[in-house]
Formats: sequence, structure tokens, C-alpha cells
Amino acid sequence: MSDGLVEVKPDDAFENGDREFVRVDGTEVGVLQVEGEYYALQNYCLHDGGPVCEGKTHRKLLGEFTEPGKRVERTYTDEECVVSCPWHGWSYDIETGDHLGNGDLSLPTYEVVVEDGVVYVGDLKQP
Amino acid sequence: MSQPDTESRRADDLDSYHVIDCDCHYMESFTDVAEYMDEPWKTKFEGSNFDEKGAKQNLSSFFPFSTGDRQAHGKITREHSSYPDSPETPERIREGMSSIGVDETLLISHLILAGAGTTADDTRQSAFAKAYVEYMSEEVLDPDDGIYGLAPIPYADIDASLEILDRIEGSEAYAGACFVTAGATPPLGNRKYDPLYERCEDMGLPAVFHTGGAGLDEYVRGGYQEMLETHTLGFLESNMSQIVSLVVQGVPEKFPDLDVAFMESGVTYLPSLITRLDEEYLKRPEEAPLLEKEPGKYITDFYYGTQPLEVSADPEFLEKCVDMVGPEQLMYASDYPHWDYDRPTTVIDLPFLSEEEKRGILSENAAEVFGL
Repeated sequence: MSDGLVEVKPDDAFENGDREFVRVDGTEVGVLQVEGEYYALQNYCLHDGGPVCEGKTHRKLLGEFTEPGKRVERTYTDEECVVSCPWHGWSYDIETGDHLGNGDLSLPTYEVVVEDGVVYVGDLKQP
Repeated sequence: MSQPDTESRRADDLDSYHVIDCDCHYMESFTDVAEYMDEPWKTKFEGSNFDEKGAKQNLSSFFPFSTGDRQAHGKITREHSSYPDSPETPERIREGMSSIGVDETLLISHLILAGAGTTADDTRQSAFAKAYVEYMSEEVLDPDDGIYGLAPIPYADIDASLEILDRIEGSEAYAGACFVTAGATPPLGNRKYDPLYERCEDMGLPAVFHTGGAGLDEYVRGGYQEMLETHTLGFLESNMSQIVSLVVQGVPEKFPDLDVAFMESGVTYLPSLITRLDEEYLKRPEEAPLLEKEPGKYITDFYYGTQPLEVSADPEFLEKCVDMVGPEQLMYASDYPHWDYDRPTTVIDLPFLSEEEKRGILSENAAEVFGL
């Protein structure tokens, strides 16, 4: 640890889809590399404490109402931006931690920094 | 509930409130409506030996294809209505309204409630609905005297439904469109019904969803034996299935200015439905991609007729239910003259409502929704 950062592991040891788990101020935090980006979220689902950061990361399904009588057009976002708890499927925006169905439910997220080739978890992001 | 009521006390209480009844049933007969039917239905009806018996319920009151008699086999009578066995006459509407303390009323077809189960041939429903709209407009409705109608929408036939909406556009007599929730297959959130909601929204016409007894005896499964079972379950299921369908399929997002009201399932089912649906939605939000908020918050944007209000429930529980739905979303409904109708006193007597809330429920909310 340096400057309040919690070491995870070397950047070059991460592969896409990898998850690592560290403890930050007593909270288990999952660190994920998804499509080249790092994310860190509390690994304790707001629903029932499931290991949310072990869950599937995936794209978000969007619906668009084009005109009356037509099927709602359903498309996926380009990026994987959702992580879903494997216990019951509660789904969170991987960047903000907001539940997809209710933004009042927000999973705590943390800063991730890479210094000198090492990945660290930093401060809790303020909502 | 707890204090003894006398006729005079009820009259005194009622005098201080203006009451709009959002769900009253005019007992039209097939004979009266048939006069306005298009061919071939007019000829078919006249040769069917139906006569006025379309208004009668006794045929289905005893034999095994029915779970029971609406009047509980002679217990229930109506002094100021011909219900159940004779056609009504327009002259008696005011008498019925006065007898329970109603000042303005919205009439819903009695016969269409059963017709909604006729899904095999939607032309029959359309023929009836069109004729009913003409009959009521010509002979019954009287907006200058506070007697309005809700036009039945034979939603299985989109073109016929749009014709009815065209017919009533600009009419003071029709204050809303009525969708009978029993028998609606696919459920009413399906995109096929979008043109109807779009038209209602354009017209500023509330969409009133009314549960009903069509198919009640085998509403989900066969084998029930008592009306206590089928009426309790079936009326709830018919409304619940359409509420869920409308919300999950995003009808309130597609048509944000459409006013939606549901009739005749009381209020205590709503908190249960809201919490159940929200719980599932948090696990599967991707299946309702049009929603911008939890489904329960759309449910509480809808309006609800109060009848049959669960006045025997623990007042604390009922208060919580009313609070969750929102008293501003509730509108007094009598269902008169049907067997389980409510008088306005069911609202006046609720111990937890403020005077402002009572006035809202008894008339002001409805006046705003229906533009009365």
C-alpha cells in the first residue's frame, strides 16, 4: 500500500475479464478488467449480499419505441457496461454502480489507478 | 363502519358532498340495443329468440357451468333498479343515483362485461359495441343532467374500435373509453393495441379498464365450485394481468399523456402487485427496456375506482394501502346496481381520510380525469 492505495496486481498480469478481490477499509472490493478498462465495486450485492463482482459482465439492452403498433426496437450498447450478481441477477452500471432498474440503489464504487505498472484500488467514489 | 347508520345520517352526510360515480351500470337489454345494430346482426338477433332475456342472469345462476347467482339466490334485491332480470329504463337512472347519493354518473355497459369473453368471433362484440354506443347516445345519456357514458372498445377488432373512437370524438356524452379486462388475449399491453391508446391520448380520452365476469368460472383453470372463489380471484386476476402487461410493455412511456384507470377490484391488491412486480423487476430489468422508473411507480400513476372497497379490513392496513396507491389516484365508484356495489358512505366513513381527500375521491379526482 502507498498513499492510501490498495495494491491489486500488476497491470500486465490482468487479462480481459479478470477479477481480483481486495479488502478496502474492511469492505471486499472486486476489481474487474472489462474491455481494457478497470472498474472496482463493492463485492456485496445490495440485494442479499451476493458476490456481485463475480457475476457476468455484459452489454446493456436498450429499448426504443419508434411508432405505435411496431415492435419496440431492442439493441445492445456497444460496450459491456453492466455487471450482474450471479445469485439473483441484480444488475448494476459498472461505472456508476447504479442499479439498472432503480438508480436510488447504488453499489459503492472505487477509484482504480495504475502506477508504475501496478493496479491499485483508491478512494471510494462519492455518489 | 363501526357506528350505526341511519337513513337520515347517511342523507345528512351525503348532502355535504358532491359525488361522481365512475362506474355505474345501466341495465340495457339486447332488444333495445339490437334496434341500432348493423346487419347481419340485427336479423340474426331478431331470429335468435333472445328477446329481452339478454339482461337476465337466471339461466346461469344454477347449472354447473356457473359458479353461482349474483344475487346469492334471492338474498339481494334492488328497490331502485330493475337489476337483475329486467331491462332498465332511462327514467330510473336518476332514481338509482339518488337512492345511494350520487350526483353525476358514468355508465358502463352491463352486457359488454360478459361479451368480453367472446374471443372466437370479434365481429359480434364490435356489432354490439357500435350499436350500444348509438343506443346510449340516442336514448339514455344526458350530459346536461350529469349522466355520461364510457364507450365500450371491442379491442380485438382494432378497426371497429377506432370507428367507435371516431364516432364519439367531441361528444359530451362519452367521457372515456372502456376496455373490459376479462378475456383480453393477448394482454392489453401488446403493441397491437397501440393505435387505440394513441387515439385516446390524442382525444384526451381516459382509458378505463374494467374487470368483468366473462369467463369467470374458468378464468385460469376449471373446477371451482362457488362464486365466492371465482369472483374473489377472477376479478383481481383480470385487472392484475392487464396492469402488469400495460406497465411492463411500456404503454405509459409510449403514451405519457394517456390517463389510465382501473375499475372494480378494490385497492388492497395494488400494494401486493406493486411490491411483487418491483421485486421481480430488480432481478430482470432488461425485460422492460422502455421503463424509466420502477414498474410500481407507473402503477401508482394510474387511477383506480374504489369499489369494492375492503372496508372490513384492519383500518391501519387499509390506510397503508390507500397511502401507497395515493388518495389522489382514487375515484369513488359504486358498481351500482350490481350485487356488491358500494355507496359513497364507504368513502365518507373511512376514519383515516382528511376532508380534502374525501372530496377528492368522491368527485374532484374524477372531475379532473374525465373533464366533467
